[in-house]
Amino acid sequence: MTALLTPHRTPTAERSPMTAPPSRFDVDAAFAEHGSALLGFAVNALGDRGQAEDCVQETFLRAWRARDRFDPARASTRTWLFAIERRVVIDVLRARQRTPHLVTPDDAPDAASHDPDPLDRLGLVEGLARLSDEHRAAVVAVHLRGRTYRDVSETTGVPVATLRTRVHYALRALRTHLDEGGTTDD
Amino acid sequence: MTDPTPSRRDELIAAALADDLSSAEQAELDALRAADPTVDVELAELAALTTRLGDLGDPSDGRGGAGWVDLEPSDDLRHRIAGIAASEPESVRGAAPGPTRASSSPAVAPVTPLSASPGRAARGRRGPGRRALVTALGAAACLAVGAGAGALVAAPRDPHVDGPPGTLGAVEPVAFAGAPSGVAVDGDVVAHTWGTETLLTVTGLPAGDAFTVVVVGDDGREYESGTFLGTDVEIDCSLNAAVLREDVAAVEIRGADGADIAVADVPGVGA
Repeated sequence: MTALLTPHRTPTAERSPMTAPPSRFDVDAAFAEHGSALLGFAVNALGDRGQAEDCVQETFLRAWRARDRFDPARASTRTWLFAIERRVVIDVLRARQRTPHLVTPDDAPDAASHDPDPLDRLGLVEGLARLSDEHRAAVVAVHLRGRTYRDVSETTGVPVATLRTRVHYALRALRTHLDEGGTTDD
Repeated sequence: MTDPTPSRRDELIAAALADDLSSAEQAELDALRAADPTVDVELAELAALTTRLGDLGDPSDGRGGAGWVDLEPSDDLRHRIAGIAASEPESVRGAAPGPTRASSSPAVAPVTPLSASPGRAARGRRGPGRRALVTALGAAACLAVGAGAGALVAAPRDPHVDGPPGTLGAVEPVAFAGAPSGVAVDGDVVAHTWGTETLLTVTGLPAGDAFTVVVVGDDGREYESGTFLGTDVEIDCSLNAAVLREDVAAVEIRGADGADIAVADVPGVGA
């Protein structure tokens, strides 16, 4: 098999001098600010730290390569990076769906059962990842782990009223994220 | 009751969604609902959402839910990210900003057919400086199907990346030779900032037998990429090695006894 690689285009000849000035995308600064949230999205979507870190790396690699097309007037860096990562994660999930797995008879699923579509929960996971740490912690404690507000308050020292307000805000933000198509791959 | 402040309204709704209202708060919410029909609308909307959140589950409750995990990026990931801007070759930087871009149009390296570059692997493997150091530094991500092997997913890649050999992210086909009759091996390599990924599609290897993928450097050093088991179905594998693509001479698939099953010479970067 012969390597058939397309010669890379010369970039400068195709750029109009009338295009907007290229944006400045600082990889290190963006990773410091958003890396944990992006990793949270990937690891909770995929359930595998190694793959999740690969996804984060791929996200920043794609962002770096597309940095001249990033327009901060249209979306924040955080929104842009999450949009890129969503596509990376979806690629991985779809690869999983295409891959047959051999399992022992004991582990074989019931033919009539329906595993939940991993893409269905992706928007929810992304929405949680995009929340601030404080808002996410509150909603995870109460609605994923089933803890009472009083219990969380005693553990964290945050007043119950504040926790309730944070959860309400987080739920509204999640609802908005899902309404805006958080489960789509653009 | 007087009109509640927005935050009090939010508090009551949040508490109701968690079934966390006291008797007095329940009465307060009931009065609020009577006065403001949008409260019921919001409660219904958010109740559907909290049901979905509950389905994500808590890993400690034994119901199989994954819950939520907060992780900090590893040092390895930090290093990989830090290397993106530093190691991305100019040939794939696209319309990169900066004063050097206009004068840095990359010279496109001619793609050398494999048949015209014989012996790179052989030179590396048989030269006097050969060091038979098989490192296990490469993190194997094998998508071998079946036979009980751990099935992981191939690293995502951008199918639109192209360029000369060694271009980061580009999928470069390589030809495997020497496979026994009945065994078919189709392979590619992908350059990454952190090393070299090998993609394999294999059929015909004996089920249950173990095979090792080794990436051979120009200097003969060997980097173990991972292992997989032969199966009766097609194997799809992605394996990583901690050697930069520019230093790779060959990829070899070996049997349990160390004998080569198939070998692919890898075109040199900039050749």
